[in-house]
Amino acid sequence: MTTSKRWIPLTFKVTLLTLLLVWTLIPIIWMVLSSFKPNSVITANTPRIFFTPTLEHYASLFSSGNSLWPYLLNSLFIAGVSTLIAVVLGCMAGFGLSRIRIRGKQHLAFWIISTRMAPIAAVIVPLYLLFRYLYLLDTHAGLIVAYLSFNLPFAIWLMTAFFDDLPPDLEEAAMIDGATKFQAFRYVVLPLMTPGLVTTAILCFIFAWNDYAFAQTFSGPSTQTIPIAAAQLLTQTGIDWGKLLAIGTIVVCPMAIAGLLVKRWLVQGLTLGAVK
Amino acid sequence: MALSTGKPSARRQGFELAMMSPALFLLALITLVPFFSIIWMSFNDVSLMGGLAFEFSGLDNWKRVFTDPDIRSSWLISLVYFLATVGLEMVIGTMMALLVYSLTRGSNIIISLLLIPMFIAPVIVGLLGRFMLDPSHGLYAWMLNETGLFDGNILGNVGSAMVAVILMDVWEWTPLVALIVLAGLTSVPEDVLEAAEMDGAKYAQKLIYIILPSISNILLVALLIRAMDAIRFFAIIFITTNGGPADSTKIIPIRLYDIAFRFFDLGYAAAVGITMLVFSIMVATAFTKLLKRQEKVS
Repeated sequence: MTTSKRWIPLTFKVTLLTLLLVWTLIPIIWMVLSSFKPNSVITANTPRIFFTPTLEHYASLFSSGNSLWPYLLNSLFIAGVSTLIAVVLGCMAGFGLSRIRIRGKQHLAFWIISTRMAPIAAVIVPLYLLFRYLYLLDTHAGLIVAYLSFNLPFAIWLMTAFFDDLPPDLEEAAMIDGATKFQAFRYVVLPLMTPGLVTTAILCFIFAWNDYAFAQTFSGPSTQTIPIAAAQLLTQTGIDWGKLLAIGTIVVCPMAIAGLLVKRWLVQGLTLGAVK
Repeated sequence: MALSTGKPSARRQGFELAMMSPALFLLALITLVPFFSIIWMSFNDVSLMGGLAFEFSGLDNWKRVFTDPDIRSSWLISLVYFLATVGLEMVIGTMMALLVYSLTRGSNIIISLLLIPMFIAPVIVGLLGRFMLDPSHGLYAWMLNETGLFDGNILGNVGSAMVAVILMDVWEWTPLVALIVLAGLTSVPEDVLEAAEMDGAKYAQKLIYIILPSISNILLVALLIRAMDAIRFFAIIFITTNGGPADSTKIIPIRLYDIAFRFFDLGYAAAVGITMLVFSIMVATAFTKLLKRQEKVS
């Protein structure tokens, strides 16, 4: 390591980093830990670190009359389908948009990015009305469309950025060898796009999985997603913290792991390709 | 869309156009229809009671948007919330990035741990906030109580509730700023830093004269990304205080949601929504301008 990396006095650095780590991790650790505590420990007046762990909260989530299964399946299905559509269409459009030379391309790009940035509260109002007309309230299709309203522009934009990074020389070489544009795309470009596709898919899935506002407004008894299950338990009087923390752990852990899997491409993804 | 320009090149770009059209067609359908609907709604009195009914009301909703004191106070609260969250996130996030970047080893695992909050659903962040601050058995509430710093219901008091929801947002989104800044730090010229060090420059001097100027564009990207998300999401407040106590945390999206789905005044909500859209379009404009500038530089 070069000397210039040692900018900051070591003790100061360690103290600050420890503080930041503690601030960041304590709520998460406390949630996961508490989800294994019996209720008597959770509601004790003084916090306790040592206890006999129990799986009762997880067991009650998946066994009792009001099981988490339907919520979980709704979440997986709705987030999964909206991700699939966004990534497939976004990948195609991203390639086209990256390679095409037309007038007004900037305006097109601006329109795409502005749809992604639209405030959710503002999007909800007209969508609610349209969904009512089209009988899409409390349907899986309705929520999939709602999630596509932010995941599709996101996928198009991000895939365009990934394709922009790939020099067109490769396709051109393939085409000189007699490949059609489609073959060049399918057999030369696409295999190189795996990181981009996986990153886009994981981020789209996380955005959809984590949504609360759309689900709260558009879902009904048969389409509620996991965040709704959490919200319902939270608004009850006499909150069942054990159950809630178990739900929280179930919602958080897979997404944190998935997100960290694509850490290398995360900056590019979350800045919509502005930073590499 | 002015896609087919009739230029000779348009024909040879048929494949590109064909690849783009399904996504653009779908995007147009699911964004333009709501876009024109919200504009039309804002000039109508939209009633949901006993079936949907539109009644043209001219500029009534728009007059209310600009005269309603509730709206004004919500924008003001939004402004405070926005400045506090984005400001803290930028400062702490930059600090976080500088610290991690200065590590000689272990930076990979540490940044991974620090990043976790931004993958957490806002509704769960709100849940965690309520759990940690629960007056009778929350860990943070207990710590504040034991140390004598605060002994009331944190989310139930006007000032502390605002601080709490701001800190929850800061908790979740500071890592994103850190991640972006960290990416930018790799572009800081090492040789210049070393030269400055040889000349006896202090850390603060290097920071102000070398590091910060070379990551200024990145900082702007982080700022814009946070700015657009700050007005997009509202689930944390929704689930913790829902705008209370006494409307003290009622940022504009929460107000809009109330107008639309508690008072079912959808026409008025549409007008409020459009003012929010204007804000986000301004951010998007700034963002694309910045991207273009970066392209010119590289």
